[in-house]
Amino acid sequence: MRARFGGLLFLALAATLPLWLRDPYFVAILTSTGIFIIAAISLNLLLGFTGQLSLGHAAFFGIGAYTSALLSLGFDVDIGLPSPVVVDPKPVWIAFFGAVVVSGLFGWLIGKLAFRVRGAYFVIVTISFAEVMRMVALNWVDLTEGPMALNNIPPLSVLWPGHGLTALVTKSQQYWLVLAVGVVCYFLVARMVRSRLGRALIALRENEPLARSVGVRVTHYLVVATVVSAAIAGAAGALYAHCVRIVDPDVFLFIYTVTMVIMVVTGGKGTLAGPVVGGLIFGLMPQALRGTAPPEVQWIIYGIGIILIVFFLPRGIVPAFADLARLRMPALRKPASLVR
Amino acid sequence: MDQILQHALNGVVLGGTYALLGIGLTLIFGIMRVVNFTHGELYAFGAYLAYLFVALLHLDFFLSIALAALAGFALGALIELVLLRPLRSNDIDTVMLVMIGAWIALQNGEQFVWGGVAKLVPSPFAQEPLVIGPVSVAPLRLFVLGATLVLLVGFYWLIDRTRLGMAMRATFQDRDTAALMGIDVRGIYTLTFALGSALAAIAGALLGPIFLVNPTMGNLVGLKAFAIVILGGLGNITGATIGGFVLALVEEFGAGYLSSEYRDAFGFLVIIAVLALRPQGFFARKARVG
Amino acid sequence: MIKHLWMTALAALFAVATAQAQETIKIGVNEPLTGAVAASGTYVTNGARIGAEVVNARGGVLGKKIELVIEDNKSNPKEAVDAAEKLILRDKVPVMIGAWSSTFTLAVMPKLVEYGVPLIVETSSSGKITVSGNPWVFRISPTSEMEAVAFLEKLDTFNPPIKKVDFLSVNNDFGRGAAAEFAKALASKGIKIGVTETMTPEATDLSAQLASIKKSDGDALFVTTGVEQVTLVIKQAAEQRLTQRIITTGGAFPDQMIANAGPAGMASYHILFFSPWSADKAKYPDVAKVYVDEWNKKKWEFAGLTEGFRGYDAVMTAVEAIKIAGKAEPDAIRQALWKTKLHGVNGDIAFIKQGPEGKESGQSVPNVYIVMLKEGKVTQP
Repeated sequence: MRARFGGLLFLALAATLPLWLRDPYFVAILTSTGIFIIAAISLNLLLGFTGQLSLGHAAFFGIGAYTSALLSLGFDVDIGLPSPVVVDPKPVWIAFFGAVVVSGLFGWLIGKLAFRVRGAYFVIVTISFAEVMRMVALNWVDLTEGPMALNNIPPLSVLWPGHGLTALVTKSQQYWLVLAVGVVCYFLVARMVRSRLGRALIALRENEPLARSVGVRVTHYLVVATVVSAAIAGAAGALYAHCVRIVDPDVFLFIYTVTMVIMVVTGGKGTLAGPVVGGLIFGLMPQALRGTAPPEVQWIIYGIGIILIVFFLPRGIVPAFADLARLRMPALRKPASLVR
Repeated sequence: MDQILQHALNGVVLGGTYALLGIGLTLIFGIMRVVNFTHGELYAFGAYLAYLFVALLHLDFFLSIALAALAGFALGALIELVLLRPLRSNDIDTVMLVMIGAWIALQNGEQFVWGGVAKLVPSPFAQEPLVIGPVSVAPLRLFVLGATLVLLVGFYWLIDRTRLGMAMRATFQDRDTAALMGIDVRGIYTLTFALGSALAAIAGALLGPIFLVNPTMGNLVGLKAFAIVILGGLGNITGATIGGFVLALVEEFGAGYLSSEYRDAFGFLVIIAVLALRPQGFFARKARVG
Repeated sequence: MIKHLWMTALAALFAVATAQAQETIKIGVNEPLTGAVAASGTYVTNGARIGAEVVNARGGVLGKKIELVIEDNKSNPKEAVDAAEKLILRDKVPVMIGAWSSTFTLAVMPKLVEYGVPLIVETSSSGKITVSGNPWVFRISPTSEMEAVAFLEKLDTFNPPIKKVDFLSVNNDFGRGAAAEFAKALASKGIKIGVTETMTPEATDLSAQLASIKKSDGDALFVTTGVEQVTLVIKQAAEQRLTQRIITTGGAFPDQMIANAGPAGMASYHILFFSPWSADKAKYPDVAKVYVDEWNKKKWEFAGLTEGFRGYDAVMTAVEAIKIAGKAEPDAIRQALWKTKLHGVNGDIAFIKQGPEGKESGQSVPNVYIVMLKEGKVTQP
């Protein structure tokens, strides 16, 4: 009950923020933080609920960004067919959902391929996948413009009563867009982990042989989780493309995956609120440190921060606080639910 | 034909250093079950030390490489003692996160100390290439090849012929039994990590003078070391040696005859292909998936 | 009453504090200080620092000191956009300098229109920048086309004469643009064009590209990329016994090869926009001398002067425009830039109009020099 009230309060604060905080720069930072939080929510589905550490998650994010950008800009590319493939610019929302679908398809492919192997192998396959994607984005200049980046990507637009089709260009509009997509993704994941699929995934994470023996179709569920996770990451990438309005091959960099992992792990993997809390901390911290410390010192602090969190808060911030609250107020103690 | 020989020669020179990197990483994984993300940083660390000793302190080039190796050994031991030993009982993912944290801190530490501008390490060798029949090679590259071959042979001798090597192999096969037999398993872990790190640092100190030294040089190399390890099978030293040479030759010929721009992608395509076709690696008889 | 007094005093204090904070005029600097082209970006930023010091030592502008707000764009177009937004929204700079690479500058350009802040482009060479109809762009560096045309006049310094050329370029706007423009200009003189190879900005092993260039029977190789890759290309070309003379474009100079010379007899040529080895031959030697002296006082890398002047000239241009505008406001500065004329380290700086009518960008016409680097010695052939 309290948690729900806190959640609603948080949502109300977040939704009205651009009205009482009139600093466009801060709103812009919250927007880009929000995009990464969505990506972290998708990673949490894999890392937190299935226990599979995907270190190529930036690949799905980047594929979403490139797909949406390319569909909305249009492209023509010669792939050895008799005539070059020509795609005319599509409306931005079609591009957006195209990105979700394409990312999901790649998720299926990687899920099928990677779940033949587990543990360290899975990690390395996902890293390699992201790196190959980066090389393609860097070198397939006809399609992706390579290091020259895709530029002038159109913004997303909505039907606004009284204004017709309005392009979302101001910082506040983009903020609300990201918030709306974020809320949808949050509840989608919440719904999933509470469903039969979610229970299967958790059973799998906790004891795979046992889950198998009682008839849980392991590979099937893992692939479904990967597809959904990749699709949400793709949506985050598409938001990125239409808000930042420039996409370059560096979106595939390993460091972005690492940023997502840090957000999930510090917040608390396997908790719904974890990626949001971790995302806010690690999205806003660079701005707080900006000016006080050079970027490399910030990153040194991050690196040491990860180590300290693993050592002292191995389950993350959200579970630690939940424990603390339960200790303080015995009335709130209740049996640990299946979804931590 | 000249081109083929030239590519082969370039590939073999590069392959030697790849093999050093691969052996270090595979040893650490095989014995400790640690996915070591700091490996590429130890490589960069070695290269920067070569720069420090040779260009700034004007020490002897060969002495500098030896010192870089020693420093790599010490840093590796330190990482093991401070970060890995306390987490011995944790699962592989937790340890991996700690290594990612250490990787980020080390890389940015290098950037903080040395700045973002790439450095050139001078070498005492003549700049004129040696011309051998149809091919040419810089004397420095020949030295690097010689040094890596000596190191590879030395390492095999260490693993195969010494009591220490036997203890390491025993730990690799069965940690608990090894401990029961009176082997100091904790000591073996520290030594393994330090040795692997020293190999990475030497590879950096050797390749640094051929290319340029910069703070992010370890990223791609670290990922390639993973490719080599996968190619050879996790924990397989012979596999890693062959894998190092294979990857270098694939890159060199791929760049020469397929696409010079996708050069660095070949390694990762190899990983995906290997894992799709033969997840246990090409040189392992028994599967070690898990 | 007493409380009221306190409030007044406090308010007065705040007024003084903000007035002091406003004593400076900010100039945004958006340069790559880390990543693939960090060396050049660092030199340009250092040049800008010197420019600011020289201006402030002379009493600043409009009675105020100038303050550089330096942001690292990490050799990445998206980060360049972020840096620009930070400079505009957070620091509220009325004018910016940047963003080194054509790719970064092109990425930043829509933001100039969105927020209405002028950008003085100090390095980028892509023709696209000044013809796309962006009235907030003022470029003091030459386009690749200008550089290529200026190079034609120096063709007779090469003996034996150049008959067939090959290209090795970084695969971005800078590299591809330069290869295209030089090929066009050289072809107009009847020079044959051999192979054109590209490389990614962070590639370190260029043996495959060089092998394919070696097979071509050209006698000159034009290399267009940042300082780091220029250094690697020259080293690796020597190892592969390339017969082509190497000519670098875009003002990159492999400064570390002065202390670590290539093999005996091997020479490379570099198209520069300022040659510190012959600063007395610059168009305005007195201007160049102030810059060179200040740089040397800091004991910075001597060869960095070749690129550092860009930042110096850009700051001087911004300051002159602020002086003409009479106030540090973006649109006033933009209008003043059209009237700005000054003596820079490179030579005369003044803007001509380029691009579609009504939305023209400013383009200055800089000078071009060629130096030869041989066995660690630099000469002007």
